[in-house]
Amino acid sequence: MNKDKIDKEMIRALAELLDETRLTEIEIEHQGLRVRVARAPGNAAPVLHYAAPAPAAASASAPAPAEGGAAHPGAVPSPMVGTAYLAPEPGAAPFIAVGDAVETGQTLLIIEAMKTMNPITAPRSGKITRILVKDGQPVEFGEPLVVIE
Amino acid sequence: MIKKLLIANRGEIALRIHRACKEMGIATVAVHSTADSEAMHVRMADESVCIGPPAAAKSYLNIPAIVTACEITGADAVHPGYGFLSENARFAEILAAHAITFVGPRPEHISTMGDKIAAKQAMIAAGVPVVPGSPGAVSDSDAAEIAGKIGYPVLCKAAAGGGGRGMKVAANPAMLAEALTTARREARAAFGDDAMYLEKYLAQPRHIEIQIMADSHGNVVHLGERDCSLQRRHQKVLEESPSPALNDAARREIGAIVTKAMSRLGYLGAGTIEFLYENGAFYFIEMNTRIQVEHPVTEMVTGIDLVREQIRVASGLPLSFTQNDIQLRGHAIECRINAENPRTFVPSPGTIRNFHVPGGLGVRVDSAAYAGYRIPPYYDSMIGKLIVHGRDRDECIMRLRRSLHEFVIDGIDTTIDLHLSLLQSPDFIAGNYDIHWLENFLANG
Repeated sequence: MNKDKIDKEMIRALAELLDETRLTEIEIEHQGLRVRVARAPGNAAPVLHYAAPAPAAASASAPAPAEGGAAHPGAVPSPMVGTAYLAPEPGAAPFIAVGDAVETGQTLLIIEAMKTMNPITAPRSGKITRILVKDGQPVEFGEPLVVIE
Repeated sequence: MIKKLLIANRGEIALRIHRACKEMGIATVAVHSTADSEAMHVRMADESVCIGPPAAAKSYLNIPAIVTACEITGADAVHPGYGFLSENARFAEILAAHAITFVGPRPEHISTMGDKIAAKQAMIAAGVPVVPGSPGAVSDSDAAEIAGKIGYPVLCKAAAGGGGRGMKVAANPAMLAEALTTARREARAAFGDDAMYLEKYLAQPRHIEIQIMADSHGNVVHLGERDCSLQRRHQKVLEESPSPALNDAARREIGAIVTKAMSRLGYLGAGTIEFLYENGAFYFIEMNTRIQVEHPVTEMVTGIDLVREQIRVASGLPLSFTQNDIQLRGHAIECRINAENPRTFVPSPGTIRNFHVPGGLGVRVDSAAYAGYRIPPYYDSMIGKLIVHGRDRDECIMRLRRSLHEFVIDGIDTTIDLHLSLLQSPDFIAGNYDIHWLENFLANG
């Protein structure tokens, strides 16, 4: 299905990203299409997999491109399932921005579950290099929220 | 009709529920622990939400996480499967408070049947024959007198127990005090409640259970019995329907008693009433207010999809059949396949290298395993069920033997060999066994 719509530029970009970083695998899912680019073990050339779109496939959390998100050692994973909010209340300024320095214990965002707000705090000090979730986005247990380097 | 159903379970039953939903055009949500990210039903479901780490308490038993998963996916119903939260009345209440349909009975019936003393009292009131026993919980001081009235040997049973756990036999008056103390200690540890009641210990009973289904329009139908006498440490190993011990008259009689009782109770959904059967008499022991592991045995002999009926009933629809539509046709046997050594029963987690399921007429495999699947060590060891149907018991046994020989599960130990040796035993072939038979067979075989 849709094999004629292969986005060569996207796959080339992913393969280059694989080479530039030390990742062994990148998988992204967007609008029902899933692409995985993986480095075969002991082999310099990345291996390409083109997966046919899974019927009505969408994971509950909006799929975030895994460019260093899940695999990144500085990623802070969600300790629970719920809805992520980036500010203390609607209209207020967000807790953090990319580039901010944070201290251990500092609130990064809130996850709401069953009407209770749970502050998610920084497990270590460092700089916020990526915020991987949008305001109001549902998140799973273990889903990377931010990257602190 | 339910539009999106969240499956609050794992393994083969999660896949089973997914299948029923898909046939009804219902979208599925799989919640799973990190250990089950590669599970078959997670891959098949329309949506999946990781709700916690491997430990069941933080994932499959984590009510806030499951309810939150319903909220973020917009699921309007939850099917709890068996085990985990399936008989948790509080879970059912919380879902109701969130306007999420719980595919199961009303919370008050889950509570009543979860308390083994209350269950027995409810059944007595509803005219169901029960095992002679204490009227309620016993204290250490009145136990001896009550036991004397019941007659030895006597079984000390935990009121908060179930599934064969929290039980100790006292063969004579001298053993009663210690049996009671030990049983209380174990019950406190396992269930957080050491209330005990006493029952007459039956010498050589069979375990025969009746499947019922009830809707919200006043219809209650029984779907015949399953004989689950082959047990090891109170865990069922093989189940069959019809029971080699029952004839039509006995079946009709107990079926009528049970449907009348469920009607009186106002029960909703699937349920199984478990009996000990000895010398032609039925004795109620407990009721399970959920779908059971061995439900496929009944499906094969009646042709009724029980999980589908559960979902229909939960949606407010009437049963799709009447009592007259139910006939036990032919014979069905289910073998539970566990990832265990067939002789020592030591669990065998690991990766399945090759996986080939048997096929052909009347052969069904309910399993979420696949070649390359890594069995997580955190959960129970059942990896699949082989259910075979034949026109009569002999054909069923021949077909089952053939299927077991054909079944390939490479890379781990399984109990397939145990089932093969059971099928060769003259007692089994003759249908001559009771609830102690399997343990004797294992000890002497």
